[in-house]
Amino acid sequence: MKFSYNWIRELVDGLDAGPRELARLITMKTAECEGVEEAGAHLDAVSEARLLEVEPIANSHNRKVLLDTARYGRRTVVCGATNARPGLRSVYVPAGTGLGGRRIGTAVIDGVESDGMLASGAELGIDRDQAGIIELDGPFDPRPDFLIDVDNKSLTHRPDLWGHLGMAREVAAIFGRPLRDPADMSLLEDGPSPVSVDIADRSLCPRYNALVFENVTVRPSPVWLRWRLEALGLNPINNIVDVTNYIMAEMAQPMHAFDADKLQGNTIFVRPARPGEHAAALNGENYALGEANLVIADAAGPIAVAGVIGGSASAIQPASRRIVLESATFQAASVRRTSSQLRLRTDASIRFEKSQDPANTVRALARAIDLLHQVSPGIRVAGGPAGDRAAPPSLPPIELPLSWLEQKLGKSLGSGQVRDILEALGFRVSPASAGVLAVTVPSWRATKDITGKHDLVEEIGRIVGYDAIEPKAPVIAVAPPPSQPRRELLRSLRSMAAAQGFTEIYNYSFVNEEMIARFGFDPSAHLRVLNPIAAGQTLLRTSLLPGLFRNLELNSRNYSSFRIFEIGREIHPLAPGELPDEIPHLSAAVVSRDDTADGLFELKRLAECLAPGCTIEPAEARSFEHPRRAAFVISRGEAIGRLFELHPSLGLDGRAAMLDVDLSRWPEATARNVKYQPLRRYPTSAFDLSVIVGSRTPSMTIQNLLASFTGPHLVQIEYLRQFVVAEGSLSLSFRITVGAPDRTLQSEEIPAIRSRVIEGMRGLGYELRV
Amino acid sequence: MERRVSTVISDNISRLRTEALERIAAAPSMEAVDAVRVEALGRKGALAQFSKDFGKLTPEERAEAGKALNAAKQEIEEAIERRRLGFESVALAARLEAEWVDLTLPAPGTRPGSLHPVTQIQQEIEDLFLSLGFTVLDGPEVETEYHNFDALNIPPDHPARDMQDTFWLDGGLLLRTHTSPVQVRGMEQFRPPLRMIAPGRVFRNEEVDASHEHTFYQLEGMMIDRDVSVAHLLYFMKILLTSVFRREVTVRLRPGYFPFVEPGFELDIHCLICGGAGCPVCKQSGWVELLPCGLVHPNVLRLSGIDPEQWGGFAFGLGLTRLAMMRYGIDDIRLLQSGDLRFLKQF
Ligand SMILES: [Zn+2]
Repeated sequence: MKFSYNWIRELVDGLDAGPRELARLITMKTAECEGVEEAGAHLDAVSEARLLEVEPIANSHNRKVLLDTARYGRRTVVCGATNARPGLRSVYVPAGTGLGGRRIGTAVIDGVESDGMLASGAELGIDRDQAGIIELDGPFDPRPDFLIDVDNKSLTHRPDLWGHLGMAREVAAIFGRPLRDPADMSLLEDGPSPVSVDIADRSLCPRYNALVFENVTVRPSPVWLRWRLEALGLNPINNIVDVTNYIMAEMAQPMHAFDADKLQGNTIFVRPARPGEHAAALNGENYALGEANLVIADAAGPIAVAGVIGGSASAIQPASRRIVLESATFQAASVRRTSSQLRLRTDASIRFEKSQDPANTVRALARAIDLLHQVSPGIRVAGGPAGDRAAPPSLPPIELPLSWLEQKLGKSLGSGQVRDILEALGFRVSPASAGVLAVTVPSWRATKDITGKHDLVEEIGRIVGYDAIEPKAPVIAVAPPPSQPRRELLRSLRSMAAAQGFTEIYNYSFVNEEMIARFGFDPSAHLRVLNPIAAGQTLLRTSLLPGLFRNLELNSRNYSSFRIFEIGREIHPLAPGELPDEIPHLSAAVVSRDDTADGLFELKRLAECLAPGCTIEPAEARSFEHPRRAAFVISRGEAIGRLFELHPSLGLDGRAAMLDVDLSRWPEATARNVKYQPLRRYPTSAFDLSVIVGSRTPSMTIQNLLASFTGPHLVQIEYLRQFVVAEGSLSLSFRITVGAPDRTLQSEEIPAIRSRVIEGMRGLGYELRV
Repeated sequence: MERRVSTVISDNISRLRTEALERIAAAPSMEAVDAVRVEALGRKGALAQFSKDFGKLTPEERAEAGKALNAAKQEIEEAIERRRLGFESVALAARLEAEWVDLTLPAPGTRPGSLHPVTQIQQEIEDLFLSLGFTVLDGPEVETEYHNFDALNIPPDHPARDMQDTFWLDGGLLLRTHTSPVQVRGMEQFRPPLRMIAPGRVFRNEEVDASHEHTFYQLEGMMIDRDVSVAHLLYFMKILLTSVFRREVTVRLRPGYFPFVEPGFELDIHCLICGGAGCPVCKQSGWVELLPCGLVHPNVLRLSGIDPEQWGGFAFGLGLTRLAMMRYGIDDIRLLQSGDLRFLKQF
């Protein structure tokens, strides 16, 4: 929303702050200003001018024009506009003036020296008329202005700030200056209106007032009005429509003018649309409506979509002579729903969805009488406003205890200061009891914005200025926060993975069909995004691997070997509408161009560091896993993840070993469950054995057999090495350490154990090297 | 004149001693020294032979000769020991000299990796708030409309829903647009008094460019107690920012509208680039908008079953992504989730 600095100055008496200072104070006390821009700087240089002579130039469509300018005397310009004619009053732009990003100069055109130029309304920036040079029938008096751009988001809760009067009230309160009210209620008459209003549902339309005008002349607005609208980005159309837009920009009250002679019957209906009804709108669209949409209708059907857009059939035309001026409020939610459904956000709907003040409708009509008299001489008001004029029910006053207010702000304030601030903002204040004020909320803040004393804390705090509040430490009980073992776990896993050489990456929670197709995942097992902007965002990931795979592809271009990991959540849908299962996972990858399995063992070591005591057991490979390099990560008898090499068919350059573990099954805080074992007091002995096995026998199988044959005196068993004995057979060497907790083993016991192991293994058909 | 036996013995010892000491001194190796030792001090060595002649001496002479013999023996042994130490130190020096290694070679094994810059900032801030007695909470990335909006005083058809472009999912679910739902979950899980923070990933359905992302990171904070004021909020924000930026920062509070706080604020800090004088980064204003905050709206407390007449609180939301970008001077937000090691290895 843009605010005109000049307009605010007209409404606040004696405001002397410059536009930038004003913007700063509005930011600090009311709403965020995003910038201040100067508008119409050239208007200081231009001059009214009368065309004295207009002569054709040989072989040119241009003409030589002699001007009598009010400020610069006689000037000659070359002009191509077809409406240039002697006697016309227009606007002269002298050489040296900046206009629309260029600088007007003196030039010889078609052999004639042209000193400055005559300008169109569009070139002057006061309307959008490019058809010819501007034609004046009154004074040309627009002045340069500054536009203060306020962030719309910071006005979401303030229906009143969608007009200059509301912002002027803030400025008046900030500077302690009087506010000028542009609405003169004495202009309203009391007589009956030629039209009547029939509201089907008061909750959807709290207020609908209308005023009929006769003897209307539809024509372009005076220059000052066009300039004011154009500067704010509102397109000047004709005097009637421009007045409605002017009042919307001033008083935040959207209005609509109907051609009264185009309406069927004398009753204006405010009702839900009937099934199958359409509205042919001012923007040329034809909207299909239903019962959820509120319409304004005459006897024949809809003439406007309530609070959103007017209809084309009853629009103001140059020939319109009688008009009905609508000034109403509609339920915010209903307007918002209709506006979203029609995908049509208008200046009116944006205001109505903020809950406009019902008490403002008749005030806006009074303002319209004043303005229409200025822009349409001879216009007459026919009767008084149609529709209910009773004041809307006001909320009971809010009790504001001053001590409570001070406690919330953390600053002490005088009761007089509090009262002055509230009254400047339009609240009525009276004492309720000792130290308690009774505060009546003004109608323009009462629709939604202010409901309780907590809202008054802000009103007072912001005008006092938050910079006046000193930071203060609270007095609170000292207590350790509840422990969060899962979070601590994630943190230690991150640090360990990084210490092991892995770089942490963050991937999106989104995947798409193409990414998961490589992994053979079923799209229907994913939560779907209903309104994605980009193609990569259609599904939520049920695995970190597709995202990680993209990282591997990317980084393979720059690194021949690298290690990455991510801790993130898999999102698995449950029943429709139920929150999905979000499972934290750690996924890691080692990429190398070497033709070895070293990456897998690096990841195995990572798994062992992260989950001490975990084991790796061969697993059936999934489609994207190397068929002979896939395993489970087992912890406490439960599979908590997988270790595998990526299948070469995925097309990655080099080998990628991957680890993917479910952290919700991760053994928590292993160290805390350790029970101390007394140190061994008696010596142990060790012997080595080598077992000849087929080349695909897992060493763990052999180790487990050796351990079981060793029996109760086993202290530990260590894998030592392996070597190829012959094609298809390997020798695996182990060191077996034996001992007893309560004595030294006798010299004959150790060979006996060794023999038992050898016999046992041979009994199973294994050959041993001893 | 006949020389006395004792004199002869003593002369021989003296000669042998001198000769042995000369040979030891001249020996080229420890082996040569050891040969001298055997000849002079061995069981069948020269000195042992002299002691056989002692029988011819008077007891006085014998004592005197014994003394001379022992003195010579000790002197030779000491000389041998000195040479031995000498040879060893030369040998050690030679070995050490030969053991030169090139320590400028890279160490074997893998270089440490690194944590994501957002993780690093997040952990720092978690540590700060843990030390102030706040607990760290987690919430789901997929949320219900109730927790993301309604419970935060943003009912359906509220225009504030436009402030956050939402990714909608099957079944009426959505991707959380802020970490604020964790406030609600925190109040549901713990009763007041309550001090919590909730870092996490949030989503906005926006076009992505160098300064806009659809996925970014926030850190939500909340304190609920009997007496919580704007002054207390300012106190915690000052501590937070001093810790994050590792220096005093100038802050200002100004009104900001968020339906779940009342009063609501935007907290700005003096631009770190220009120090408040105005530069392109702060659009010449001298201030950078950093975090929204405010006193918890009584409706939010009420919706979570907390009596706003008895309890009050503050809440704030910190953009971790923004903070990481400010701290490291990252000019393209997309890099953070690019997975590009050329970027990530810098942290
Ligand atoms: Zn700056």
